[in-house]
Amino acid sequence: MKYILMMNATKAEFDVYAKWSKEDLQRNVGFMRAFSKELKDSGVFVATEGLGWPNEARIVRAGKDGEPITDGVFAESKEFLAGYWVIDVEGPEQAYKIAARASAAPGPGGTPARMPIEVRQVLSGFADLGL
Amino acid sequence: MKYILLMTGTKAGVGTYQAWTNGDRNTHMAALLKINKELSDSGEFIATEGLAGPDEARVVRGRNNGVPVTDGVFAESKEFLLGYWIIDVETPDRAYAIASLISAAPGPGGVPTNMPIEVRQFASHAPKS
Repeated sequence: MKYILMMNATKAEFDVYAKWSKEDLQRNVGFMRAFSKELKDSGVFVATEGLGWPNEARIVRAGKDGEPITDGVFAESKEFLAGYWVIDVEGPEQAYKIAARASAAPGPGGTPARMPIEVRQVLSGFADLGL
Repeated sequence: MKYILLMTGTKAGVGTYQAWTNGDRNTHMAALLKINKELSDSGEFIATEGLAGPDEARVVRGRNNGVPVTDGVFAESKEFLLGYWIIDVETPDRAYAIASLISAAPGPGGVPTNMPIEVRQFASHAPKS
């Protein structure tokens, strides 16, 4: 079963992260690299990406003639996807365990950041949608 | 430039979608499949996935001993990721145009859903701020 583990954060939380010391950032990135390697070594890794900052985010809707209408204004409470891992595991419990590891990534001073990680099943194809 | 196009919706929005007729859903899916094929043909397609419904969603935090703590209670306003496309395009405007095609996919009665599609660049290509 494929799952996506998502890190979401508000703009204010991104701003806090941007102010972490270089040492704290390096420790966090080091953990993330080791974590991805661990997932690859255990054969559950499918993909991982980090996303650009929220100030570059745009919402697009189709206009009357199909032309894109873009909007870059968001509610303060809006959660932006910061990054994700896609994993292929036996079931939800294994996905939760791996998410807990990601949540324990070191924050400022090396203390686990305990970031909430949203865990969602990825459907294998349109068959799973009942179509 | 790699972009991810995120389709999101609240639980209420997903409930509305589930109430669509089979015919409307099939028309909608056919339009999305056609967009996927066009992106494959143009060489801009990297990946697409659909996610399981919000009822299955969990937020996980790690306890100090590494035991996962799961929570399945969310604010009504919470936007859930429903599906995404990853594309590789020349310009942001091209990413917006593709998002617009997805937004224009037909909903009930063939009327465009006009769904909002969030367009985000991957960090490996994004400007640093």
